[in-house]
Amino acid sequence: MSADRPLADLKVLDLMWAIAGPTVTRSLADYGATVVRVETARRVDVCRTIGPFLTLPPGTEDSALFHNMNLGKYMLTLDLSTADGRAVLLDLVRWADVVAEAFAPGVMQARRLDYDTLRQVKPEIIMLSTCLMGQTGPLASFAGFGNLAAAVVGFTHLCGWPDRAPAGPFGAYTDYIAPRFAVAAILAAVDHLRRTGEGQWIDLSQAEASLQFLAPAVLDYTVNGRVQNRTGNRDPHVAPHGVYPTAGEDRWIALAVQSDEQWGALCTAMQRPDLQADARFATYAGRQQGHEQLDAEIAAWTAARDGDAIEAELQAQGIPASVVQDSADLCRDPQLQHREHFVRVAHPTHGHTTVENSRFRLSRTPARMAETAPTLGRDNQYVLESILGYGEQRISELAVSGALG
Amino acid sequence: MTAGGLLSPYRVLDLTTERGLLCGQILGDLGADVIQVEPPGGSRARRIGPFVGDEPHPDRSLFWWAFSRNKRSVTLNLESDAGRVMLQRLVEGAHFLIESDTPGRLAARGLGYDDLAAVNPALICVSISPFGQNGPKAGYADSDLAIMAAGGPLLLTGDDDRPPVRLSVPQAYLHASAEAAAAAMIAHNERQRSGRGQHVDVSAQQAVAAATQSGILSTAVGFFDLKRVAGGARYGPFTVRFNYPARDGYVSITHGFGSSFGPFTRRLMEYVYDEGFCDEATRDKDWLGYVEQLLFGQEPIEEFDRVKQVIENCTRTKTKAELFDAAHRRDLLVAPVATMAEVAESPQLMARGYWCDLEHPELGRTVRYPGPFARLSCAPITYRRRPPTVGEHNAEIYAGELGCTPADLAALSTQGVI
Repeated sequence: MSADRPLADLKVLDLMWAIAGPTVTRSLADYGATVVRVETARRVDVCRTIGPFLTLPPGTEDSALFHNMNLGKYMLTLDLSTADGRAVLLDLVRWADVVAEAFAPGVMQARRLDYDTLRQVKPEIIMLSTCLMGQTGPLASFAGFGNLAAAVVGFTHLCGWPDRAPAGPFGAYTDYIAPRFAVAAILAAVDHLRRTGEGQWIDLSQAEASLQFLAPAVLDYTVNGRVQNRTGNRDPHVAPHGVYPTAGEDRWIALAVQSDEQWGALCTAMQRPDLQADARFATYAGRQQGHEQLDAEIAAWTAARDGDAIEAELQAQGIPASVVQDSADLCRDPQLQHREHFVRVAHPTHGHTTVENSRFRLSRTPARMAETAPTLGRDNQYVLESILGYGEQRISELAVSGALG
Repeated sequence: MTAGGLLSPYRVLDLTTERGLLCGQILGDLGADVIQVEPPGGSRARRIGPFVGDEPHPDRSLFWWAFSRNKRSVTLNLESDAGRVMLQRLVEGAHFLIESDTPGRLAARGLGYDDLAAVNPALICVSISPFGQNGPKAGYADSDLAIMAAGGPLLLTGDDDRPPVRLSVPQAYLHASAEAAAAAMIAHNERQRSGRGQHVDVSAQQAVAAATQSGILSTAVGFFDLKRVAGGARYGPFTVRFNYPARDGYVSITHGFGSSFGPFTRRLMEYVYDEGFCDEATRDKDWLGYVEQLLFGQEPIEEFDRVKQVIENCTRTKTKAELFDAAHRRDLLVAPVATMAEVAESPQLMARGYWCDLEHPELGRTVRYPGPFARLSCAPITYRRRPPTVGEHNAEIYAGELGCTPADLAALSTQGVI
């Protein structure tokens, strides 16, 4: 960990699992924080059971999702149900600036590792507890994944076609939202700690943080009493606005016509002077009203064409258009290549695996990816010896006692 | 308790358009003094609906309200020399500047990162853009839909017999803006040691790629792409379904297998059995090893389809509340698909005192906002300010803080600078 990295002086104890939690600490590790991830070999992190996988049937070290969420962390296995395991954990609490955990509320209390206990060990500790519904309230104990939080706070209802059952956003949607709020809150708390010496307990409910992403719909209800419903790909301010078929199987182009000028440019591209001259479609309101007809006209033009060619042609006219990219498209996307979004790193059993780069760039102190993806227990010796300063005898006692399981 | 919030020593200049408002609001919620710098007449974001009472007006946009609390507003015409000079004076006293202009546009006006850093070398300048500040697509025209398409999540969402579909509340720039707040704090942490600022460059395309749940890596690691299915996903030969009909709407069910999800599905099937909708053999399948059985042919796909139908036969007879209650009692991964009306009445959010009511004296009413994104034990997030009206704080900031005289202000106003 070199000293010029932005978070070089930040020490994080990572008791995260699944997706949202590890995403938080991965962001900190990208920028130089020393993150010690503690896992028990006795219970497999659910993240390890979710694809994409490098092999089938998948073993516990084969999930690219897991590699992607945990790159750059030290990996220590510890059985917290043993007295020795607990003692090691408390030493890590003394070492850490930040403890981050993502268990269901009550689990840390049951293990006597809750904030009140940890602050007795280290008064200025910053602790993040992130879970689905928050640490308190009648649903606090409702354990689940981000697809359920997405249902509970309204995303699922708002995604799909108005004449059909909700499609819902893909996967554990709120797991991708909450981590950004958590990183901002942790680092604000670190800044506060360094100025004042005061620690903090951060209770972050995935449901509550994610509702920030639906705030306009919340206000439409609380102010106007309107319950918003899913509208397919229609947009209240832009028309035409949709996703249209292109040549190939399950190939699509997304486009949005944001002005009368763009409408004219689209008609020119489609070689449809008749549509351009049609007074019904000269205004936004008219195009919204005739949306169904325009969808059919556009689809008839796109259907046999190559999506990349349409994207290039429309973008050249200033019309926001993009191929609806699959993972093969994303791999060869020149923009993502330019941003070095895909990073190939070594893996102890697979040779190599691929992870995503940081989603932003810092001009002076960019993210640096670890050279290898982590495996269970990989860094036990390093963490115990170099981070905690244990001697050889203590380390072998721990190994024999089963605490490192 | 610390009054004023964690970031109260810091000032943020927020130049963002509709693309980036959430970033400044996150920093403002954490206590920073955020000054939204708007063009005379107000931000473009104020033209985005819905509006209070459906009356379009810059001070009635609920989109604006959604992302502008805890900010003050000044107007400033950055197309004018006098406006740019005024901005430089604001930059001198600022810790962060956030912008979401098309890459290169601020630089063309002499307000690029290098120009701003010359004024204030410790400034952290955060740029939020569709594809990043440089690269072959940096100049692309953008929209929420196009970014969701370009970043990967769009293809995974929707019904398999229709085009991919987006969330009806635009999301792309919220992902980018929240990412930007995290990025700004990383740069800030470094500045506290080095004393130096830097340029933070956030790509919305890369931000939304997070919502593929690492599916963006499938080709790179030799795995197959998942295919969209309404309320589920297709994994190669079989389809997992996550949305099921209830008597009064829908519920989400995490219908998974393997060592982590499998036990939940086993309990779900025990519930379905106890309610009389399946036999013992169906209940007692190997739910932990079920994916492998499907992939390697020990379990016919049609049998899995029958299992899903059995679950649906059960859920159809229950209300969302009954199913959610069963989830509590039996530790199932089942939750109601809520409408915003139901979210607003959520007993959980009520019990946590989530909702925040803010006075809008200019409209003579109180408005209920989504509450804080996190609970901080020593410095709670507070909503100190309702979203500002256009240029509401011109006098307070230009006269009170930059020392402009009333005559200066009048002149700036006449020249169209503020």
